[in-house]
Parts: sequence; structure tokens; C-alpha cells
Amino acid sequence: MDFTRRQLLWTGGTLGAAAMLAACGGGDDAAPAAGGSPRQGGTLRIGALGRTSAITRDPHGTQGNESDYLVIALVYDTLTAPGGRTDNTVPRLASAFTPSKDLKTWRFTLAEGAAFHDGTPVTADDVVWSLRRLRGTPSGAARLPGIAAGRITADGKRTVVLVSDYANAELPLLTRLSTFVLKKDTPDAEIPRAPGTGPFKLDWYRGGNARLLRNTHWYGGAVHLDAVEVTMFQSPQAMANAMLSGQIDVASNVGAVAARTAEARRDIQVVRRPDDMAMPVVMRTSDGPFAGAEVREAMKLLVDREAMVRQVLSGYGSVANDILGTGDPAYAGDIPQRRRDLARAKRLLTDAGFDFSRTYRLVTTEDVAGLAESATLFASQAREAGVKIEVVKQESGAFYQKTWLKGDFYTNYWGTNDSVVFFASKTLTTGAGQNEADWSDKEFDAAYHKVLATADRSARTAALRGLQRIEHDRSGYLLWGMADGIDLAAPKVRGLPKLPGYGRVQLENVWLAP
Amino acid sequence: MTGSGAPKDTTRPVPEPAARRAGALAARPAAVLAKRVAMLVVLLAVVFAAIELLPGDAATATSERGEGAAGVAARRHLLGLDRPVWERFRDWITALPTGDLGTSARGERVSDLLAAPLPNTILLASTAFVLTVLAALALGTWAAARPKGVVDRVVDLTSTAAFALPEFVVAVGLLLVLSLWTGWLPAATVTGADGAPARWSMLVMPVLALTVPQTGWNTRIVRGALADQAAAPHVAAARLDGLPTRQVLLRHALPGAWPAIATGVATSTGMLLGGTVVVETLFNYPGIGTVLAGAVADRDTPVIAAVVACSAALITVVLLLADLIRARTLGARS
Repeated sequence: MDFTRRQLLWTGGTLGAAAMLAACGGGDDAAPAAGGSPRQGGTLRIGALGRTSAITRDPHGTQGNESDYLVIALVYDTLTAPGGRTDNTVPRLASAFTPSKDLKTWRFTLAEGAAFHDGTPVTADDVVWSLRRLRGTPSGAARLPGIAAGRITADGKRTVVLVSDYANAELPLLTRLSTFVLKKDTPDAEIPRAPGTGPFKLDWYRGGNARLLRNTHWYGGAVHLDAVEVTMFQSPQAMANAMLSGQIDVASNVGAVAARTAEARRDIQVVRRPDDMAMPVVMRTSDGPFAGAEVREAMKLLVDREAMVRQVLSGYGSVANDILGTGDPAYAGDIPQRRRDLARAKRLLTDAGFDFSRTYRLVTTEDVAGLAESATLFASQAREAGVKIEVVKQESGAFYQKTWLKGDFYTNYWGTNDSVVFFASKTLTTGAGQNEADWSDKEFDAAYHKVLATADRSARTAALRGLQRIEHDRSGYLLWGMADGIDLAAPKVRGLPKLPGYGRVQLENVWLAP
Repeated sequence: MTGSGAPKDTTRPVPEPAARRAGALAARPAAVLAKRVAMLVVLLAVVFAAIELLPGDAATATSERGEGAAGVAARRHLLGLDRPVWERFRDWITALPTGDLGTSARGERVSDLLAAPLPNTILLASTAFVLTVLAALALGTWAAARPKGVVDRVVDLTSTAAFALPEFVVAVGLLLVLSLWTGWLPAATVTGADGAPARWSMLVMPVLALTVPQTGWNTRIVRGALADQAAAPHVAAARLDGLPTRQVLLRHALPGAWPAIATGVATSTGMLLGGTVVVETLFNYPGIGTVLAGAVADRDTPVIAAVVACSAALITVVLLLADLIRARTLGARS
């Protein structure tokens, strides 16, 4: 679900339009302060990106559209949900979750009073059926790794038991994004209209657009909005235009270009959600020109991180330190920030016998805004140290077929960034399915298994710090910065989530000021 | 000049023995239709083959990042992508007459995906089509009223310029002026529960963006056809008889110009439908143009082929109408 392939068809032309708009906007950039006590009522008109051809109604399908995911996440509940700065996993349909001593068996207790929109109470059987259905999809193994369908069971009416093949202290992390719960034995044909347990119920859905009504009996507390109207937008530019002309109240995940335009308008709030998107440069560690750890370190010393954030992200982002999962509450912010040091980089490269006469091809795509630009700027920065890099743009399909997981040197992007362990498990441990840099480091693997097997919170944080240190020092990732997620909102909209990634869909606390 | 008897594709007006042609068309509508259907099948086969040649496939495009090679392979099998392309094409095309357009790579029925967008695009394109015809006729005849006059020269210049403008440029210009600066029109299309645009005003800019370039093209055709007719003996005679210019143009010149005009306008159908891909995306208009744009990115062959089939069917209908107009006009005058 990390795919957010946006059509960048219009970037060129509408950049011009945006510049003109910015020029004729007002000068006051003070967004109205949020505050006051929540008020009941009103309809929120929200825009989200999506394409008609990619429409998915199945909560357990692969949602390519942010608009579809938004609708699904409002109607259905997951067991857990993305949280804030102190905890990256918070309760949702499961009000509590506790592990066994060996961290293999996890018991999820369903929230008191949880019921489907038709009034039927949620049972553990519904949850088990839904999770097994999810596990049975083509993406099931990736979504619930290490948890076989047969090891998802009910214990009484209100407890669901998940047994992992290995100790996993972070198992509730896996149940945050796609464990949507439907009624047991819902036939496939009825899925689009099947009642959920979420804060809103579906009024109508048509062609990617939907209207949802408040679930007055939601177990999670009072929902403020009467209704939510979701409009699907084919491009961020069209969504920004709709926002500027007052057709929608919120433009969800609309991006930095639109934010720059909107900064000039006092009647639009720019909501920044930090740590939303990572766009690392991947260097192959097992063979090729970047196999030497010194060479990789040199590349990490070549990049001017501040300039990257300023130019590639228009300043809507922050500098990173070559560790993925920057939004994790246990992120090791105390590891010294790596800074540009051309002299040291050159020395490292010379010592390693790096071939300065060669031109290295850095493969990139235009799948997300700024990705190709990041490659180009990095290439020009590297040239200052005598490293010649040629940027090669590949079309998305070609990239995933030919370059991803195979290439020596490429850019990629990741959308879930609030867990260091997530990246360790998916992309960094030996033999991980998406080990993009083909990295294998015994010390790192040991650190990872220690983290997963440690139940004590502070001991785990300490173990996590060791893991991050190794990642910072030697991995194949050059992570120069993190892009903010950016929503635009009308002044009356309050209580929008500030969470990165999929946390943006939590609209139950949103309210409209008079 | 020799006519082939069988109706030619109508990209250029080729004068043919009129009676014979009209007779052929009237006598063999089924044959005409069969030929067009055969062309459509070939076209769809080309579409299937072309998508096959693109890098990547629907399985990789619609899988999750976490899936890994095994997951992608499973999805490829699920979508039938591990079967030869001709086999998939055969299955799809044989199901087509039953109204089954297949299943999208994300498991939605293609007919469901197109149910709301197709009528929207027909509404958009047909409105633009009617406006194009009216504007081109008005401007073309106005310009022809006084050859080399001021109006003629202005229309000549502006129609060339308008035709040279891509829909994209027109659309961005309209957006800036009519919506973002003045606030007169909504910038994007928002739909209601029925899937149609919530307000008619949302149609104005998309229609204009499609109409302007096509009006440029068709105005030149109307003007050119009228110029040809002006040289015809019966038109010259009417003018020498001292009939008013208006009457000469509308009664004597225009009827002879119909075949050329009908042909020009008919070719605009294809360009109008092509333009919807750009215009719909820019205005967020929920039509099949946007479906196509997204489906190509996903290598979603059944969706792409369904959009092509629908567009081709629309174009075929318009081309047939143009053939009929030509046949009638030429037949009536023989």
C-alpha cells in the first residue's frame, strides 16, 4: 500500500499556472489558528487522489487510489491504527493487545460496544474471518507476514489470537493499515455495500466519489461531522484548483507545489505532516561499484542534504540521517547527523580505488513528485567531488521490472515511515523480500532479532538504537531527507490529523468551526 | 476519376460516381458494418499486442511493494497474464458480443468502471461536437461572404491559430481566466450520486477546451469547401443573376459543400475523443479519457481495450452518418 503513483502529466504546464497564481495571491500567509471546542455538524468536502481505472472497493484488495483507501478507512475499522509521537500503534477496533512471554502469541481484545452499522455487535468470529480473508489475498503474506491463516483464531466472543512463526514484539504494527473488519461470510458480490464498524457509514459510492454519514453509535466516541463527501481527483493540480476555487474544504496529500501556491492565500491552511515520504538513493552492496562500505559512506558524505530539502521539497521536509523510519518514537535522533564533507568523501573514494573516470548511471522514476529532481540534484552535487553521475529516467513499469531490487544505483520511495522495524524487516535484513540494496550484515541481523525478541520497552529501545547505528554506518541507503505530507484546508476545518502516511485518513476528530 | 464502389474511409472527400456510390451504400449497409467491425477487431488485437510490448505488466503495476516475486507471480497467474496474449485476446473478444468487457487488474468489472464515465464523455464530446459544427458553419460562411475581406482574413488567421493550439493550452488558459482569476466557473468537476457532474456550469470549460481547436480546423474546411463551390457553374450563375450573397451561399453553395464538411466534421470525432484524455484529466471530468490515462499506466489491458472499443464504436457511428450524408447529397445531385 505504499504505492501512490501520481500522474505527473501536467506538472510542466500547471507549474506555470501555479507561479502565476502565486504572483496574484495576497501577501498575508497567516493561517487561522486551530482551537476552540469541537462543534457538532456540517459536511466536510474532501478531495483525494485516485484514478477511475484503479478503483478498488474491496477493503482487502490492493488500493491504488488514496480516495478508495480513505472511503474504506472511514467505513471499516482496523484492529490497530497509526499513532502519534509517543506510540506508533494505537488501539482501534481492538481496545487492547498483549503478547505472550515468547512474543509469538498476541491476544487482541475487541472494543466494548463495537457494532456494525446495521446494529449487529462485532464478534471475534467476524474478525477472524476478515483477517483470514485478508491473509488469503495475493498480498496477504506481505500484509500479515509470519502469521498463517490457520493461526488466526477466536477465543470466546471478544478475543482474537494471532500466532506468529517467530517472536515479534512489533506485531500490532502489522494490523494497522489493512485489517479491515467485515461481517463473517460476507459474499464477494456484497462487499461494496457491506456494513463496517467505522465512524462513518456509506451513503453512496459512484465512480470513485462517495458520500458518508456519521455513525452515531460509534464505539470510539462522538463523531463531529454529519457527513463527509469524498471527491476523487485524477491529478494533484486539479485538486489544488478545486481547493483554490472553494469547491472542496480539504485537499488531502496534495503536495508541495500546491502548498507553495497556497502559502500566499490567507484563506487556506497548509497542514504539514512530517516524516511522510522517504526518497532514498539505493546503492547495491553485494556487488558493483558501491559494494565497498567506504564508497557508500563517501556517497553519503557527498550529498548536501539541506540543499536537497530546500530545492527538491521546496523546503517542505526535513534532513535525514540515512536511517529509515524517521517517524518512529524510538528513532535514534542522538546519532550524530551526517553532514557534507567533500574532502573526506574524496579521500575515502581514493583509498577505496574508486574509478573517477567512469560515469555512473542513477536510475529514477517520476512516480512521485520530486523523485527525479532529487536524482538530478544529487548528481550535480556529486560532480563537485569529481564523481560523474548520469541520471536515467525510467517509466514506472520498466523500473519495477528491470531496476528495482536488481540495479546498482537507483532512487525509490517509501510511504510508511513511523517504524524502524518495518524497514528492517522488509528491506534490510538478509534475504528480506524487498532488500533493495541486497544488503547482508550479520551484526545487523542479530540486532534485528534481538529487537523483536525483547519485550521490555526500554531494553528494546536500546537494542533499536544499536540497530540504527549499524544502518547509519553501513547500509546501502542514502536517505538525505524526508518529505512532509501536505494537505490544504479551508480555515473552518479543525482537528485534521497531523500523522504521516495513512494516518491522514483519521477524520473522526475533524470538526467545522462556524 | 474512378470510384471503388465500396465506401472508402472518410478522411478525404473523394468525389466518386455518385449514384453508384449511393446505391452501393444503401444496398450493402451490412457489408459496410461488417468491414468496420473487422477493422475494430484488428484494432483491438493491435491494442492487446501493443500493451504486451510495453515494459512491465498489470501484475507488477497493481501489486503491493511488500509482495515480493512469489506474490507478483501469483497475481500474474490470477490475472491470466501467464497465458499467451492471443489466448487472452480471443477470450476477451469472444466475450465482447455478450456485453462482457472483462475484469480490471484490480478485480472490478470493466463494465462497472465504464458505466458512469461513458455517458459523461458522450455528453461532453457531443456538446463540443454540436458547438464545433455550429461555430464552424457560422464562421466559415461569414468569412466566405466576402472573400479576401476583413472578416475572411481575421477568420483565416484565428482559425489557423486555434487549430494549432493544443487542448491543454486552451484548458489552462480557460482555467486561469474563467475560474482562478474571476471565480466565474468551478475549476474542477464534482459529481453527485448519479455519477454525472453536479452542475452544468462544470461542463463549460471542458467543452470550450475541446471546441476551440476543432472549430479552427472545421472553419477552414467550411471556408475551403465554399470557395470550391463558388467556382462551380451553378453558383457562379446564381451570383450573376444578382441573388443576394446570403442566398447564394446558403441555397446554392452550401448544399454542394456538405460532403466535404460532413467528412471534416466526422474526422473531428476522433480528435474530440482523443482530446478528452487531456481535458478530462485537467478538469477532473469523470469520463473515459481519464479511465484510459490511468489504465495505460497500470497496463490494464481489458480496461484499455474496452475504452478503445467504446470510442471506436462512437467514431464508427459518426463516420457512417457522414457517409450517409455524402451519399444522399451526391445522390440527390446526380
